[in-house]
Amino acid sequence: MADTNNAVDFSNERVTLGDNAPRIATPALVVGALFIVLSLALGIRGKATFATFLRAYLVNYCFFLSLSLGAMFFVLIQHLTRAGWSVTVRRIAENFLATLPLMGVLALPIVVPMLLGVSAIHDLYEWTNAVLVRHDPVLSGKAVYLNVPFFTIRMIAYFALWCWIGHYFYKSSVAQDQSGSAEATARMQRLSAPAMIVFAFTLTFAAFDLIMSLDPHWFSTIFGVYYYAGSTLGFFCVLAIAMYLLQGAGLLSRTITTEHYHDVGKLAFAFTVFWAYIAYSQYMLIWYASIPEEVPWFDVRQQQPWVAISLVLLFGHFMIPFVALISRVPKRRPTALILGAIWLLLMHWFDLFWLVFPRAAHGEASESNIVAQGLATGEIVQCVLSLIGIGGLFVGVVILRMRGAALVPQRDPRLDESLAFENF
Amino acid sequence: MCRSRHWERLVDNTAGAILERPREHSSVRAAPGVLHALLAEFNSPGELRDAAGKVRDAGFKRFDAHSPFPIHGIDSAMGIRRSMLPIVIFCGGLTGCLTGLFLQWWTNASDAGVFQWALDLVTHWFQAFLGYQYLISGKPYFSLPANIPVIFELTILFSAITAVLAMLMSNNLPLFYNPLFNSRRFRRATDDGYFISVLATDPKFDAARVRELLTGAGGDVEDVFELPSAARFPKVIHRVGLTVTMLALVPLAVILMARYGKSPDPRIHIIQDMDNQPKFRAQHADLAFSDGRAMRGPVGLSADHPLGLTVARGELHEDSLYNTGLVGKVFAETIPFYRPELTADEHFVRRGQQRFNIYCAPCHGRDGAGAGMVNEHALTIGGGWVQAADLADDERRSRPVGYIFHTITNGIRTMPAYGDQIPVADRWAIVAYVRALQRARHASAADLNPDDLANLRNR
Repeated sequence: MADTNNAVDFSNERVTLGDNAPRIATPALVVGALFIVLSLALGIRGKATFATFLRAYLVNYCFFLSLSLGAMFFVLIQHLTRAGWSVTVRRIAENFLATLPLMGVLALPIVVPMLLGVSAIHDLYEWTNAVLVRHDPVLSGKAVYLNVPFFTIRMIAYFALWCWIGHYFYKSSVAQDQSGSAEATARMQRLSAPAMIVFAFTLTFAAFDLIMSLDPHWFSTIFGVYYYAGSTLGFFCVLAIAMYLLQGAGLLSRTITTEHYHDVGKLAFAFTVFWAYIAYSQYMLIWYASIPEEVPWFDVRQQQPWVAISLVLLFGHFMIPFVALISRVPKRRPTALILGAIWLLLMHWFDLFWLVFPRAAHGEASESNIVAQGLATGEIVQCVLSLIGIGGLFVGVVILRMRGAALVPQRDPRLDESLAFENF
Repeated sequence: MCRSRHWERLVDNTAGAILERPREHSSVRAAPGVLHALLAEFNSPGELRDAAGKVRDAGFKRFDAHSPFPIHGIDSAMGIRRSMLPIVIFCGGLTGCLTGLFLQWWTNASDAGVFQWALDLVTHWFQAFLGYQYLISGKPYFSLPANIPVIFELTILFSAITAVLAMLMSNNLPLFYNPLFNSRRFRRATDDGYFISVLATDPKFDAARVRELLTGAGGDVEDVFELPSAARFPKVIHRVGLTVTMLALVPLAVILMARYGKSPDPRIHIIQDMDNQPKFRAQHADLAFSDGRAMRGPVGLSADHPLGLTVARGELHEDSLYNTGLVGKVFAETIPFYRPELTADEHFVRRGQQRFNIYCAPCHGRDGAGAGMVNEHALTIGGGWVQAADLADDERRSRPVGYIFHTITNGIRTMPAYGDQIPVADRWAIVAYVRALQRARHASAADLNPDDLANLRNR
């Protein structure tokens, strides 16, 4: 820690994408923008289709937002714990922080219709419908929190805090490449603690606002933790994939070792179990208490066609990866780990799809008999369109960010430690 | 840094001084026994690792490296294969998982659905036990979501216990005596010494060759001997140990005896829980009574108190009018004010009002018209509710006071008896108040005194 002028020689190591970055990023950005426009165009034709667009867009928005927030958590926790092992991969995560302003801009398709009072948004967020709220004692009781102006203010606050944290930790880390100051590391460590508290609260309430309020009668205090578990898991997968792709492109070939893959794999495994633990905790309490105001949320998800996805999550998001990743062997073989990471990322997407899409059918529902709304082909198409749309922009922004600074914090005081460490 | 080095040296010197002393008197060094191992000390972890590699390449199996801290790469340098521990622990965890599942299924689920065949098989083995079948929260007897916490806990418990036991076993622990500790230098293996020991029991062991190998690798070699048996352990310790062991078996023997023996003495009762109290129980003797029994029979049903000749306390009603409102078989027309308990004054009526509002008003209403809270509520529920009587209608006004008293005491139609709840004097006070209510409900302006009338008119 005291010696910052470490003697790591990066002269033979490619550590930056350089001018290759725009060449890769531009197609991604163009495709992303095109698909979002296409999706929006399909959605604008009518009320029902616009509601479909919104719902599909929300799934993918929450998916990519979770990856951005997962990256933020990763950077913060490394500073907070003064971690040594992760220094060589921390810059990759820092590059993902550039997507936070992007996600702020991409929130507009959700916030703007809300502010304009478009009727399709009532289909997505019931609590935006003033008439409905007035006649529903539960919704009018929650209206103090769940109302459009306050929602907008909260979203602005979240993104202001996130963008600031992301900007600070990226800039400080990159500045250290030049200055090599150990003081920068100490400062980031000091700031990571309050930033982590801010992260915990904002992520929790963002999950409440964006996803839990889709069913405004329902509530689960653990919901924020659930979203956090998935977010973090999702980012560990993305990190592993990014490491693999960068090494495949001939970068960081000696900087990132098997040991780093092993550690990322361990974290991915741990958060697979953590996700299952939280998911089960949420399910078990509601299942056991069996209270009419809590049960419908799971009731809908236990009906066709959603029960299929519930089972996919049970097996695909927990049981299969648990057995597959428990041994150290796949974690130390990048190819095997990447397969697991892609699988888990897919499952994380299904998890968000499972959170956002299932809902009770209007009209047929009563207190004792809830009928789930089915899934239409148009909805699947819209999901794919906005997945590629937001995904293209997300990937493009990350790659563009990789153009500038080196992909490893070259003068971080703990770099030696990170390069040398071994798992027992 | 500097200060702590200095401190360490200080400790080393002190410890050295303490450790040096026994050497002068000890006969250990003077009488070497069988060669146990060759011990070589190295200067650094790196040297130790390189030397371990050489010993491994020379084909030795029974050797070990000792250092104060884990050294990277020492496992491969020594040719140690990866531990089987994770697999053993995984199996332990799996066993715990299945045990948890089985435990809950077997103890609570007799109706096992598709698993019924398995349950039949198990109950066949373990006698006819069909589970306790506790119905909890309306869930099925065997329901996975409820079982997961126990399954989880047992998985962790079994994994942890397996981990500890398997680790001990694979390390040959606990080991009470290792001849390596006969080397004084070896103590520094937990401080700043790096050692390799090659055991004499290794099939390839040849003292000269090993010494040459270790010296060549940069080690400072020393012979470690097993102590001659005479010097190893004072005989007296064997005897003390044997005695203590035998004594330690005594409590076990006593427990075993108690388990299978018979004794008229009561059990040893360590936690009292108010089990022993100074009171009589059924079948206890008490010489205070002529029949010697502590338990007395019910009054009127025992030899001491024949039926018909006893009256319970407070139940001797000599004054029929006061206690029942009846004179012979006719209801009394006047309140028995001759009794000292009853006083013909406002206080008496106020007492009646208070009692009335407590006991009567819920049904009859505070004005006695029959529209109390119970009545109001009953009307909202609906059903066959018969309203409580209006106490001031013509029929009730014509009733004698004895009749009203009798009704309060014994109840009438759907009205329950209040005799047990309201003392006699209070019942008469209520009667007086009912009469006042009846009067008030049928009053005219002429009944008021002029001042009150004037007050009312001015309002």
